[in-house]
Amino acid sequence: MARIDDSFSTQAKTEGKAGPRLLGRLGLGFARSISIILLFVCWEMAARSGAVTTFMLPSLSLVAEWIWSDAVSGDLLINTGATLYRAIVGFLIAAIGGIVLGMAMSRSAAVSWLFDPIISVGFPMPKIAFLPVVILWLGLYDISKISMVVLDAIFPVVTATIIGIKGVDREIIWSARNMGANDREVMWQIVVPAALPQILTGLQVSLPIALIVAVVTEMMMGGYGLGGSMMTASRFAQSPGVFAGIVEIAAVGFCLVKGMAILRRRLLLWHQEALEPSTV
Amino acid sequence: MSHKAQIVIEGVTHSYRPPVGRTVVALEDVSLTVNEREFIALLGPSGCGKSTLLYLLGGFLPIESGRIMIDDKPVAGPGPDRGIVFQHFALFPWKTVRKNVLYGLERQNFSQDEREKRAQAFIDLVGLSGFEDSYPSQLSGGMKQRAAIARTLAFDPRILLMDEPFGALDAQTRSLMQTELLDIWNKTRKTVIFVTHDVQEAVYLAERVAVMTARPGRIKTIVDTRFDKNDPDIFKAKPFIEKVDEIWHLVRDEAIKAQGKRVR
Amino acid sequence: MKRALFRYLPLVLLALGWEAASRLELVSSLALPPLTSVIAAWIELIQSGELVTNGLSSIYRGAAGLFLSIIVGAALGIFMAWWRPLNVLLNPLVELFYPMPKSALIPVTVIWLGFGDGSKILLIFLGCMLPITIGAFNGARSSDQVLVWSARSMGASRLRMLWDVVVPSALPEMLNGIRTALALSFILLVSSELIVARQGFGYLIGFLGANGSYEAMFAVVLTVAFLGFAADRGYQILMQRLLRWRE
Repeated sequence: MARIDDSFSTQAKTEGKAGPRLLGRLGLGFARSISIILLFVCWEMAARSGAVTTFMLPSLSLVAEWIWSDAVSGDLLINTGATLYRAIVGFLIAAIGGIVLGMAMSRSAAVSWLFDPIISVGFPMPKIAFLPVVILWLGLYDISKISMVVLDAIFPVVTATIIGIKGVDREIIWSARNMGANDREVMWQIVVPAALPQILTGLQVSLPIALIVAVVTEMMMGGYGLGGSMMTASRFAQSPGVFAGIVEIAAVGFCLVKGMAILRRRLLLWHQEALEPSTV
Repeated sequence: MSHKAQIVIEGVTHSYRPPVGRTVVALEDVSLTVNEREFIALLGPSGCGKSTLLYLLGGFLPIESGRIMIDDKPVAGPGPDRGIVFQHFALFPWKTVRKNVLYGLERQNFSQDEREKRAQAFIDLVGLSGFEDSYPSQLSGGMKQRAAIARTLAFDPRILLMDEPFGALDAQTRSLMQTELLDIWNKTRKTVIFVTHDVQEAVYLAERVAVMTARPGRIKTIVDTRFDKNDPDIFKAKPFIEKVDEIWHLVRDEAIKAQGKRVR
Repeated sequence: MKRALFRYLPLVLLALGWEAASRLELVSSLALPPLTSVIAAWIELIQSGELVTNGLSSIYRGAAGLFLSIIVGAALGIFMAWWRPLNVLLNPLVELFYPMPKSALIPVTVIWLGFGDGSKILLIFLGCMLPITIGAFNGARSSDQVLVWSARSMGASRLRMLWDVVVPSALPEMLNGIRTALALSFILLVSSELIVARQGFGYLIGFLGANGSYEAMFAVVLTVAFLGFAADRGYQILMQRLLRWRE
């Protein structure tokens, strides 16, 4: 039975029974769909049963209608686009900044000393608490949202980069030096590729964080975006809108995570453990 | 065999100072001379510092006291004149076998064409033809070690430093690789410094065996092990067995001492 | 002791830099009030009782939600590992909901339970359950087969075996899952209180900010941030104690 992770491919290895892989794949795909279909069916039944009001639990069809009209009117695209823009821009800044900082901290004892307590103390802090401060400084524009995303998303990247670089086998570095590589070549041609699996893990943790923070900042500040539109719907007591938002955000989150997993597999073809890490 | 002394190690002492815990003296006042084109083995119990000596020769660790001269020049860092082969292969896992072998060649003055030809020649030499485009994770232990050897030989170092290269392989692969290494050495005639804790391996491969003491390591004795290695039944031949026995007794005391120190 | 001081010295420098930058008007002292006035405001808040009242409200919500999610999440994870049919049924749902930002549930919980404690507790309960379930599941799965077999051969009933063997070996991964959930609970708590609350840390921060009492706002922000840090550290120590037998 599969460990819970995001990979569709592990099921083939874990079923343990002999049998054509394709059938195994279909079997699991079937099992997945069954659960989801079951969920939808229960939802619809519960909604129609009258046990709860339509307000508390709008029926699946109502929610689907809402999503559809959003899609048709173009609102869905605008909102999704806005949220994705903020999340991804923030994520990219955090990724590049985090990797650079991680590299700097690995190379220089002074830089490491300076930033280490900031990182180890800052990591478990609910940095979302700083949102009002960021708004105070930067106003109610996208830049505050993106800054918040960067603030939250950079920590896992830095930590993963440091772990990755520290974990590089010294014999590999020595071999490269043996063959005449200088410091710069060792860093970029040897250390970075060797640390890549760990760095990618950090990025995989960071991306969902970026999305969460983008959504929360939108809820707080309103306006365009999936978070903002959900808050608007809730203020006008339009519960199908609220549920629609959940479905939309869940879908976006799902796609981003899957996309990242595919990217990882592509980049790490050579890696023995081609499995994605368990995402706890 | 009047080859000139190529490597001169004099009075080398080396300690490890971990950030927590006591300082460990790995080598104490080690002196040794290695001649050009010689195959010499460094033999000793675990922890005797033989690998440390190799790393000092390779320039991977700084020389704190004593000196190491190679061709009358002091060692000042790693370089392609001394090629190293590690026990755990140290191949670059994100590169194919071919790319691994090419890495050393890229830093030398070969044309693109020559590089490709050389790389292929050495891949063939170690018997990995057909696996040029495989990744290390797809190879067996023995194949990985061959790839590592091909990679090191390709940039033509005059000195080969080998750190228990066959230690991670199973017994059959190991003995195959030993014969192949001797073969390659006979063809290329490089100076080889071979670290091992296996007495039979040392006597079979080397012309001289330097037996080291338990930590802190120094050279205890140097035994001559030159004789005809072409005999296919050499492991059963009388002179061979006697040599192994002689050296085994020298090592045994050190091995016991090494254990005793740990028990304390 | 000396090492700890050296390690955290950059933070001290940061604090000094803050004070200096603010007092010397290198940055607007309105946007960044001096650290000393923030501390003064903090003391005032304690004395007036505002910080404590709101703080207790937040802590109650967080603890309640987390407690529920631990109980239900761990039980769910262990039973999913124990009984195949349950796993087959629920696994796809877990995979589906794991990447969803739990903060998306904020409006829903408000619709259901309003602005008060209930919605926050429900939010934290739902949001924090998954990491714990996954941790418990993975931990129970890796429960050493040998341990299970030897327990079986000694005649342990299935339920007994669950308690004596599976739960202890599931502990490390489950505890890690709880650690993730702990951090997540703070995030969800603060987020929801910033947006939709009439009490609590997040509400207080928003209130003070709207009022222009920036020193006080900073004080509460730092309090919450520090509590999050302290909770994590404290939990780590607890984890080490619980896992001592492992090493």
